[in-house]
This record gives sequence, C-alpha cells and structure tokens, in this order.
Amino acid sequence: MSWRRICAADSVALNSLKKFEVDGIPVVVANYGDGFRVFPPICPHMEEPLEESGLIEGKVLTCTKHLWQWNLATCQMEGTETEKLMHFYDVKQEGDDLLAFIKSEHIYEFDEEDEMDDDDFFNS
Amino acid sequence: MKITLQTKSGQFEYDCAPGETILSAGLRHGITLPYECATGTCGTCRCRVMQGDALMGWQEAPGAARLKREKGDCLMCQTVVSSDALIRVASQNVLGAFPRGHVPAHCNGAIANCRKLTHDVMQFDVMIDQPMSFDAGQFVTLAVAGVTGPRAYSMVNFQQATDRLTFVVKRSAGGAFSDWLFDTDVAGATLKVFGPLGAATFYPDEAKNIICIGGGSGIAGMMSIIERACQENYFNDHKGHVFFGVRTLKDCFYMAELSEYVTCAGPNLSVTVALSDEDTGLATHPDFDNLKLDTGFVHEAASRAMTGKFDNMVGYVAGPPPMVDAALRVLIAEGKLPPADIRYDKFS
Repeated sequence: MSWRRICAADSVALNSLKKFEVDGIPVVVANYGDGFRVFPPICPHMEEPLEESGLIEGKVLTCTKHLWQWNLATCQMEGTETEKLMHFYDVKQEGDDLLAFIKSEHIYEFDEEDEMDDDDFFNS
Repeated sequence: MKITLQTKSGQFEYDCAPGETILSAGLRHGITLPYECATGTCGTCRCRVMQGDALMGWQEAPGAARLKREKGDCLMCQTVVSSDALIRVASQNVLGAFPRGHVPAHCNGAIANCRKLTHDVMQFDVMIDQPMSFDAGQFVTLAVAGVTGPRAYSMVNFQQATDRLTFVVKRSAGGAFSDWLFDTDVAGATLKVFGPLGAATFYPDEAKNIICIGGGSGIAGMMSIIERACQENYFNDHKGHVFFGVRTLKDCFYMAELSEYVTCAGPNLSVTVALSDEDTGLATHPDFDNLKLDTGFVHEAASRAMTGKFDNMVGYVAGPPPMVDAALRVLIAEGKLPPADIRYDKFS
C-alpha cells in the first residue's frame, strides 16, 4: 500500500506551495487551482527548496532562482530555460484528505552522471 | 595547449594559453560555453576533464560545492590546464560561433577617474589597452594583483569600440576588492580585464517596453541600457520604467544622470527612487523634480506603479539576492513575463 495521506486538502491555499514530511519522505504540495500536485521538495535543476523558491501563476510553477518552469496542469516543461522534467507523484483526493502514491522517495540525478559517462552519446 | 571539447551538440577544438581558464579560452574563440557568473559562484560552467592535466584554482568556490571531483568535474571558469586536454560539457546548446553579441577578449586596464558618489559607493573608469564593444547590460571580470580571484562588474557606460569602461561599486563589509578600492590610492592601478560577458542585454530591435528594477550598485547595467536607449531615441516609441532602490536620500547616486535621461527621453521614461529606510513624505526627489520618490522596498514600488502596464515588456533585474528574488516574483506573478523576457545575471 503506497498511497499515503499527505495533508488535508484545504491546508494548502490556492496558488501556494507547502512542504510536508510523510513517513520520513519530504514532499511539496502545490495547489494550482484545478487540483493539486505532489513532488520532491527541491528543484531538479540546482536543488533550490521549492517551498521558498517556487511561485505558481496561471497553473505554471516557476523556480524563481533560475526561472525553470513546469505546467502543473500537464506536468510538462514550460518556458525557455527548463531542461529537466519535474517528478510528480500520483495524487488523489479522498474526502478532505490529499493522498499521494509514493513507493519510495524520488531522488533526482543532479550531475547527469549517466550522460557524462556515456561515450557513445558524446561520440555520436 | 589544445582543448578538445565534447558536447551534446558536437565536438570543438580550441587553443588555451598558459594560465588561461578553459572558460575564457573557449569564449574568446567564439564557442558559446555555458556560464553565468564567470567567477566561481554559480556552478553553471561545470565540465568533466576526461584526459589531461587540469587544476581548479579556487577549490572552495561556492559553485563547486556539488562537483564530483573524483570523476574529474571542475568549473571551467576556475580551471587551467598544463597539457592538451579532453573535456565534456553536458549541454545541448554549445555553438561554435556567437549568434549575437561580441566575442570577449583579454586586455589590460588601468584605473582612472575615481569618484565617491556616496559614503559607500564609488565610480571609476578602467582605461583598456584594446578597444572593446559590448552590449548594454553586460559585464567584465576584473582581476587585480594581490586580490584573489577576478570580480564581475557591469559597465555603466555604453559606447562602441571604447577604451573606457565605467563601473560603480558599493562597499561590502569584508569584500577584498571593495576594501582595496576604498582604502588604497587605486588611481593608475593596473588590472586584467576579460569581457564582455553576460546575457542581461538590451537590444533595441526587440522593440519592447522596458522595466528595470535595480538595488544599489545593481543600477549599473541599467544605466548602460538607458544610455543606449536615449542615444537611439528608443523612448520615442517605447516606454521605460526604472525603479531604483536605496536606503535613504543620502544613499542616492546617479540622480543628476537619471534626471537628464528623463529630460532627454520625455514622458515615456519614468524613474522612481524607492527609499527602504526613510519616509520623506515627498512625491519627487528634492533636487530633481522629474524623479519620483517612493517609500519601501523597490519591488513594492514597482508593483504599486506597474499594475496594468506590463504590456509587451522586457524586464531587467539586478541587486542584492533577496531584492532580485522579490523583483522576479513581481515580474512573473504580476507582470506575467515569460523567462525569455526576464534578464538578470544568475550569480548564485
């Protein structure tokens, strides 16, 4: 059973981000108006804490540090700066509660290690 | 030494002079290597040295905090090689020639015309031995013998093929460069200059209205932008909104220059000086009645004044990091500006 209760849905105000810890796993909940998204609490770019650096406007989440953006309605990248997808946990609402499907904590690979070590990629 | 550079957009080769960083060597050959600060603080210019002898000068650079040293990762802006080297950069956007703007170069400079503008702000010129052209809003790095590591400063002036670069520096507590500048007779002192650098640039052919939100010496690059705009009568057809934050009236500088710009530009250019620590009760500057005064943080002044006026806008932001963050929020949330239309140097 990996659906975990994160919080009461009404505890995250419209167009705001709030950090929670669920069974020792930190997550951020974003309320973008049409629903909620739950994702790891740091920016996949340079580990900025999204609860502080994040800004939601028009369903788009911006990390204000370097202007990477993701559309919270479609989960896709937005804008001209963004180079990596955000990891979104599946989310659902049951009554007043917000639940996310978290098998284990998602950790971003920050140094693109696989790519840097990929000789074929660089030689192609 | 020869650098062979592998990127996701192809392979490049270029020469690197003894003692020269991998970054500046690549940039001066017109290769669009990724960087932001060029001085070790941001971490954008990370690369991996696959072969060759490389040494990263500033081991404790803030931008180096997350490097995988054991894999040969280093910051290009801090690294010199002592042999031919093979390096990798995980970028898809490296080009072999600048699509726009000026290829940077090394030159020698000497300090002249030092002038204290307030108790803790100084303007000075650096006379350089080779003419430089730059875009309004760009910066160079200045390296002084005896002061560890180059510093990045934006040009205040705007001229093509000039031998004079003008800078403004606010004294920062414990800052080695500003201590040197304020505490010694620096006139005639020589320094190494590399530039121009940076992408917080103004191009008149973009034909957008402009908003500048600057705090303290962050106004530097904006002075260059307004200077260019005035030189080219840009404000005949476009609006300009400048918000300049300082603490109190006695911390103001460039008031005469800004007032002159407003006089030249006419009603399409407005300048608001926001005083964070003083409520004068005045609507305009006591000495320059075409400069508006406001009380509070500069991003708040911008927010108050700009409601409904963000049409076709490009925004420039510079200043202390908390001010930059707050101003970016205004431009994104209230101005609805996309990242392509928000320009600032990402120095952290």
